[in-house]
Amino acid sequence: MNKDVSGTIQVEGVSHTFVSNGEKTHALDNVSFEVPKNRFVSIVGPSGCGKSSLLMMLAGLQTPDEGRIICEGKKITRPDPQRIGVVFQEASLFPWLTAEKNVEFPLSLRGVKPAVRHDRAREALALVGLEGFGSRYPHELSGGMKQRVSIARGLVQDPPILMMDEPFAALDEQTRTVMGDELLRIWEQTRKTILFVTHSLGEAVYLADQVLVMSARPGRIIDRIDVDLPRPRRFEMMSTQPFMELRERIWRQIRH
Amino acid sequence: MAARYETALIRLIIIALLFGAWEFAPRADLVNARLLPPASEVFTVFFGLIQDPGFHGHLATTLQQTLTAFLIAVPVGALLGILIAENRFAGEVFKPLVFFVFSIPKSIFLPMFILAFGISFWQKVAFGVFSTIFIVMMTAFAAVASVRSDHIRVARSYGANLRQIIARVYLPSMTPVLLEAVRLAMIFNFTGILLAEMYASRAGVGNLIGTWGRGFQIPQIMAGIVTVAGLSILFNELVRWFERRCEHWRGDR
Repeated sequence: MNKDVSGTIQVEGVSHTFVSNGEKTHALDNVSFEVPKNRFVSIVGPSGCGKSSLLMMLAGLQTPDEGRIICEGKKITRPDPQRIGVVFQEASLFPWLTAEKNVEFPLSLRGVKPAVRHDRAREALALVGLEGFGSRYPHELSGGMKQRVSIARGLVQDPPILMMDEPFAALDEQTRTVMGDELLRIWEQTRKTILFVTHSLGEAVYLADQVLVMSARPGRIIDRIDVDLPRPRRFEMMSTQPFMELRERIWRQIRH
Repeated sequence: MAARYETALIRLIIIALLFGAWEFAPRADLVNARLLPPASEVFTVFFGLIQDPGFHGHLATTLQQTLTAFLIAVPVGALLGILIAENRFAGEVFKPLVFFVFSIPKSIFLPMFILAFGISFWQKVAFGVFSTIFIVMMTAFAAVASVRSDHIRVARSYGANLRQIIARVYLPSMTPVLLEAVRLAMIFNFTGILLAEMYASRAGVGNLIGTWGRGFQIPQIMAGIVTVAGLSILFNELVRWFERRCEHWRGDR
């Protein structure tokens, strides 16, 4: 049983109900899927399909009522940033810290020495294409740059898995396209396992090896679509027949 | 850059014009010189005052009371405010009460403070604290509200414990608003102490101004006002300087 589990995620029969304002909401219903190492998997689904609950669980900030989530062969019970780096929709950078200090943040929580922190943060910033921007404060950066810093923060501990919660949703169309290509470049370079939640069907297909489609509440996985488009992906692919067919297939599932 | 010098210059010109008008109007009999003595006369009295050891004693009394009240009201108010805002139940119970009390003019309570504390140092301090603590608490509510939940979520997902969340997310998030509390506290506090001194006291700048008022010594009153104004502006600018130093973390709200 010496199976290599590095960079893998298994979600097994996860169901969850949460109560807010005295009302019970059945958020997730028996969700199961597996993400193998080095794979880029997108999750799409209508608003309120329990995607965020699922992510909170993967980040170790919530425990499912039923089922379990296993990351690299180990059940997730609390945040484990050295295994899973997270990137949220809003870049959520600390405005009182420079870009570099923001990237260093996960390391400083663990008490890593300043010199080591500094080197790692610079490497991570270079990886996301922000060399020389380390001393800028978040308000001095554009939306796309902020999200790059946030990705660098997720990568700074070199976790095998990167989890992204609609990271480009707040960006304009053009920046969003550029950031998608940038993310693919970073992924090719680092070979992380990426779990990418998005609203955009095009983005989901364009980036991923596999797209998981979730239903409206209670969230269930209603389809798993392998994207067999060649890599590297190119912008022009979005207007090809196979791409549009995949996109349509997803659309038909979540439309009703 | 040029625009900044320009506005500074215009500001200086306006100040100079005001002082010029203050000097000129009474001399030209446009206003009653007994009610508004010329600026030069007021400043002569002012320079006499600040060299007068007797005045130093009064000033020291006022400043001691103000500082003591300040050192009590700001930490206690901030802590209470944060505790109330952080606890949902306490927030629901106490927040409206703090707003109610804040809306009552504090000066009408002054006689009760005299009855409770006599005419004393602690009566002034207690009244100073009372006039200040509610605004500090309300600002602390705002400080807690300024902590963004997505920042907390990021810190938690990177494994921060409670102590780290407080030190690295709460405190830096709240600092700009708490500095505002410090600034407002000093203004309310100074007002409270001077009022208490004018109402009933044996010493202090407020006491002097009250006495001068009853004796119709307008140049003295105005010299006293100049002193108080100078001190207030000085303190205010000091806090604003600190605020400007952490301006970059207000930029990204």
